[in-house]
Amino acid sequence: MAAFYVSMRLRFVTGFAYLSFLIFPVIVAAIGLFVLDHPGTTATQWTYGVLGGGLVGYWGVTYIDAGNGIQLERWNGTLEQVFAVPTPLWVIVLGKALGGLVWGMLSFIPTIALGYIGFHALVPNVDAGHFAVSFSVLTFSFLAVALSLSPVFAMWRWAFSMVNGFEFGTYVFCGLMFPITVLPGWGQVIAAMLAPTWAVRALYASTTSEGPHDYAAWWALSIALSVVYIVASLFLYRFVDRRARVTGQLALV
Amino acid sequence: MSHVSVYARSVWLQYIALFQWATVRGYVAYKVLLPVAQILFFVEFGVFATGGGNAIYFALGNALQLTANAGIFGVIATVANEREFGTLPILLGSPANRLVTFLSRASVNVIDGVLTVAIGLVLTAVVFRIDVSHGNVPLLALCIVVISFTTAGLGLLFGSLGLVMRDAIVVANILYYLLLVFCGINFPVGRLPGVLQVVAYALPLTRGVEAARQAVAGASLGDVAGLLAGEIAVGVAYAFVGYLLFRAFEGYARRGGLQDAY
Repeated sequence: MAAFYVSMRLRFVTGFAYLSFLIFPVIVAAIGLFVLDHPGTTATQWTYGVLGGGLVGYWGVTYIDAGNGIQLERWNGTLEQVFAVPTPLWVIVLGKALGGLVWGMLSFIPTIALGYIGFHALVPNVDAGHFAVSFSVLTFSFLAVALSLSPVFAMWRWAFSMVNGFEFGTYVFCGLMFPITVLPGWGQVIAAMLAPTWAVRALYASTTSEGPHDYAAWWALSIALSVVYIVASLFLYRFVDRRARVTGQLALV
Repeated sequence: MSHVSVYARSVWLQYIALFQWATVRGYVAYKVLLPVAQILFFVEFGVFATGGGNAIYFALGNALQLTANAGIFGVIATVANEREFGTLPILLGSPANRLVTFLSRASVNVIDGVLTVAIGLVLTAVVFRIDVSHGNVPLLALCIVVISFTTAGLGLLFGSLGLVMRDAIVVANILYYLLLVFCGINFPVGRLPGVLQVVAYALPLTRGVEAARQAVAGASLGDVAGLLAGEIAVGVAYAFVGYLLFRAFEGYARRGGLQDAY
């Protein structure tokens, strides 16, 4: 809770935090809605425009803020203090990641408002129950990604640059603003290995009566992949812990 | 020391010390992966939203907008990094001609902007099999050079803010993405509300991208001369105002001893 509280307080005074949850999602949503603003746009396409900007913001805060949970401590010179406290590292990172997720959820407010006020676009026919479960599964998958990326970014600084440079690619392969079924076969294979993809698919399915609605299978796939990410990251946390406590090299990486 | 040698030294030092992508990993991340991902995203989204026949519109627009990667991020970072590396007071304390020092900030990034667009266009041709060779390629090349200069002009204006602002790179991020909204990159400027169309034509890229699209369609230099002249005028205006701001902020910072206090 302390990590959650401190991470939330720090976000209020950081310009980048407002960029991630407010400005960037609104810009992406605006582009999407202007592109869709032509005769013949279907309700399903509008839904991708309205929700897509929020999803982009949610993802952006997750991987930048929450994923840099350990890295930011290094930049702030507080890495050693974090490792000196008796609380396990993953608990601290979890608290910070949850703070990032709450902050990221705020992205939906300005983007849905833009869709409604600027383009008279609504999200029609929402199946509230399936939508809520799908959103919860999506949040769990984002949390898993954040927990997994945190030690990766700490161990290999260049990893953040690569993920940051490929940010738009994540939107593509997770189907944040259009269905992955429009991608070529190789793209759909990559997309299928990403936990958020299945949750996003279920989320959009809950806003339309068209197409398949295999919620149980999609939720199960997303949760299973998320668990795999978390298990894999546990080994990385041990590695990070060793670099910090035993060799003392983490701050030097 | 002559102005030419000051300019040359400043460009060289700026490249080796402040060009933030001068590593293989940094260049791959932001000059290869970012163009691939940005073009892939907007082309796929555009095809989803408007149909397969419009892929070239999105691919070309986003490939051209990549000039802002260098012209905005790169130029703004040259001042922001001076502050971060602690060399801003030294720079402001030097007697070198300010206009020469100021303009040298953009030089490497203009060249890099042209290279980035070239990478984007090659990727577009390879990944999406979009062929621009049937258009007026020399004119397209001229358009790319012009918009690389003009986006750097906008970068110089906001780079001046780096003298009095700690998070100038946040401004760079906002500008980069706003250009995607205003400049006819993913949808025609005419789709914006009237007031925002005025803003669009007050920004660099808008006319340059329009000229480049016409060049790809086979237009001649005469057809787009007005657009390119307007594009150049906008870029020069931003660079000029940026220089005035640079001098004003410099004076303010020097009087108060605030060169790196923000």
